[in-house]
Amino acid sequence: MKSWKISGSPHKGQAAGGATGGIAARSSSADGNFDAMSKQQAAAISGPRKQHSALQGYSPLRYMPPSRSASNDSNALLKQSRRSSHSNNRPTGGANAGHSASTTSFTTDGSGKYFQDLDEDWSAVIDDYNMPIPVYLNGGSAGTADSLSRASTHSYPQLPNLTGTGSGSRGTPGPAVVPETRTPTEIAQERDVQELNSMMARITKFNALLSSKHILNVKELRQLSWNGIPKPNRPKVWKLLIGYLPANTKRHESFLQRKRKEYRDGITHTFDEQNHQRDIPTWHQIEIDLPRTNPSIPLYQFKSVQHSLQKILYLWAIRHPASGYVQGINDLVTPFYQIFLTEYLPASQIDEVANRDPAMYMSEEQTVQLEADTFWCLTKLLEQITDNYIHGQPGILKQVKNLSQLVKRIDADLYDHFTNEHVEFIQFAFRWMNCLLMREFEMDVVIRMWDTYLAETSQDSSVGGATTGASAGADLSAPTTPAQRTVSTFQTPPSKIRTEATVGASPSSPLSVRSFSATTAVTKTTASGAGSDDASGTRQSSSLNEFHVFVCAAFLIKWSDQLCGMDFQEIITFLQNPPTKDWRESDIEMLLSEAYIWQSLYKDATSHWL
Amino acid sequence: MNNPVTSIKLVLLGEVAVGKSSIVLRFVSNDFAENKEPTIGAAFLTQRVNINEHTIKFEIWDTAGQERFASLAPMYYRNAQAALVVYDVTKPQSFIKARHWVKELHEQASKDIIIALVGNKIDMLDEDPTERKVAREEGEKLAQEENLLFFETSAKTGANVNEVFLKIGENVPLKQAADGSNNGSGLNVRRDNGWIWQTRLIQPRKPLTVAAESLVVLITKVHISFPERFRTEYGGVAAWAVNLCKTVSWNQP
Ligand SMILES: Nc1nc2c(ncn2[C@@H]2O[C@H](COP(=O)(O)OP(=O)(O)O)[C@@H](O)[C@H]2O)c(=O)[nH]1
Ligand SMILES: [Mg+2]
Repeated sequence: MKSWKISGSPHKGQAAGGATGGIAARSSSADGNFDAMSKQQAAAISGPRKQHSALQGYSPLRYMPPSRSASNDSNALLKQSRRSSHSNNRPTGGANAGHSASTTSFTTDGSGKYFQDLDEDWSAVIDDYNMPIPVYLNGGSAGTADSLSRASTHSYPQLPNLTGTGSGSRGTPGPAVVPETRTPTEIAQERDVQELNSMMARITKFNALLSSKHILNVKELRQLSWNGIPKPNRPKVWKLLIGYLPANTKRHESFLQRKRKEYRDGITHTFDEQNHQRDIPTWHQIEIDLPRTNPSIPLYQFKSVQHSLQKILYLWAIRHPASGYVQGINDLVTPFYQIFLTEYLPASQIDEVANRDPAMYMSEEQTVQLEADTFWCLTKLLEQITDNYIHGQPGILKQVKNLSQLVKRIDADLYDHFTNEHVEFIQFAFRWMNCLLMREFEMDVVIRMWDTYLAETSQDSSVGGATTGASAGADLSAPTTPAQRTVSTFQTPPSKIRTEATVGASPSSPLSVRSFSATTAVTKTTASGAGSDDASGTRQSSSLNEFHVFVCAAFLIKWSDQLCGMDFQEIITFLQNPPTKDWRESDIEMLLSEAYIWQSLYKDATSHWL
Repeated sequence: MNNPVTSIKLVLLGEVAVGKSSIVLRFVSNDFAENKEPTIGAAFLTQRVNINEHTIKFEIWDTAGQERFASLAPMYYRNAQAALVVYDVTKPQSFIKARHWVKELHEQASKDIIIALVGNKIDMLDEDPTERKVAREEGEKLAQEENLLFFETSAKTGANVNEVFLKIGENVPLKQAADGSNNGSGLNVRRDNGWIWQTRLIQPRKPLTVAAESLVVLITKVHISFPERFRTEYGGVAAWAVNLCKTVSWNQP
């Protein structure tokens, strides 16, 4: 039996959880290296694949321990932070406080009873369920063993058995007892430097990808973007991810020219009093809503901005009569507008975009370009979620229903509590769906969230570089219907239900389900013109509505503990005003990651829902 | 506060942007926002008022006015004991809409619902009286015909806003309400069980078989595709995923 180890780590034994720890790989991978493992496993399922590119250049050393973890008594600290995570409305002390606290139960004795293994197969594979997934530690540049130890202390905030707190019984001294020799300031400085370095590295990566002379590797871009897009690259990357810009860089110039002309013609026609009967109620509605769109951001109070947005929204509305203008779309247009606006500011002033009147620095020509790009990207986005805004808003109702089913499944206590309190999901989740959670977060956070949304959920057509252009070329006069993603998360064709029915009986069934979908993914990717390599099985993009439901679930469950102690009134009031005002990017990244895990776990395995 | 407490479920209906949310904000927080974001779906607020030794607790659903959201309205007025139908005195169209709402309430809502017709934004008439497009008499007439309370208000200045709610409070039959604050006993059992996700997930389910291969695939997937940045911090969550797939039943009905 091999344990998975942390490659390059000087304390393999501990990292693998000591004698009893370790997920024993069935694989015979010589060194137990996770990458080798994963490749092998993946290969067994969906054919040969390349090493995942996201693994390259990864440096965990950015994450130095916060000064508090330097304490010798990390156990006490964990308890303390657990308490605080229970009493506070929000995660404290950065991204992982809440979770670092909550996972401690993995190693408490009492939790053992939850992990009774009833299946013989299991013990052959896993001897310690509490074993963390091994991670890569970049030993090469790590310097001293001391700093490595500390890095690893922080690497597994949720796993005290790695940090020594839970390992007493196993007799393995934990790295957490290594005394901290540096001052908190030094640590902070070092961390800043590392943050900066890794940011520069990211920018370099993006620049390299984007400067390709021919076909951009959109898939790789997608993977990179999942983790956030550097500000200077964001406008272009968003346009690529959403399938507006073609992957073929040679065509960018002419393509943009054409789309901008189309937009300009559309506007000219629409606002030509002779030829177009203005839809007064729609026009009015938009006019009323714009001054109260993002009212706390100065940018949206400028007349020039409101004028631009009004044209964009109105044009979209009359081009999509089945939906028309629905409140909430005015929210959805703003991230595009604001991000594309930064293209017209010098790099040093990008952060000022929310405060400056574009009329002061944009020519009329540039304004039209900006409006056109915003219009087309909004169109692309809404194509994916048209059902949300047509009569009866079936897309939203279905999402709300799926959310409730998901929560029922993964947090039965919360679900039951809601039922007892007569809280209906639609009472709070309608807005979450209608505005893609934009009302729940500040703009900076929303923008970061969209990096991931666009990376995760854009249409298949843009996955294969070659087909991107075609899909983006949708004619303005003939609005396309959304490319229906037929496989909905929670609905299954009857044939698949039969497959599912056997899963419980046969231990190998889940594998066949998995490999089935992996194969499908590969086929799909091949069909769309891209080589089928690493990501096809693992990074299959999902539909916006699907992924969003998982994000909503993660968001709701985040507050579960508090909510379970509240009555109807308190619950609704809380959820209408969730304490997210000072969320930072790291908070939303945590949430997105949680959503991703939920999705990984439930997307296929629970496809028989509803 | 040992007064008997009566809860009144109240719903606001009316065309978009007539000032429903602003009226509620004025009543609940005595505040006004020039640019209030449009309500999406509906918003819930509460306010307590003392009327003659009685405490009335208003539980208010403020609905969204846009036509597209109208299908949600029945959910909110179905159990309501009182409704405010709001229009904007400077917008004749909104008065037409108000008529529709009154009709719908009479047809669909509870028989003894108390309805107040409210013409809002009268402050705009102070600057320019010609702004008025719905005469006071029109409102009064409709109110009389349909047996409604009638008010003209300004959420901006606060004029007459509290009066609407007080009047409704006086009109709703006072029933002895059960003490609304339930102490939620029995809910806190699992508070100290550590990671709440884990306990919640696992307790109610009996462990079922999940094949080892699928587990490895899952971990591979979760791990490889995990945001680079969080891979270290999230090692633990992935481990949790292992626990999860081990203990959660995929197949239970
Ligand atoms: N002048 C004036 N404006 C008001 C009044 N009430 C609301 N408003 C404004 O009308 C707009 C719509 O208000 P809101 O409460 O959102 O309307 P709702 O859609 O009916 O909820 C906002 O810009 C408010 O500031 C009022 O009494 N007087
Ligand atoms: Mg409102």
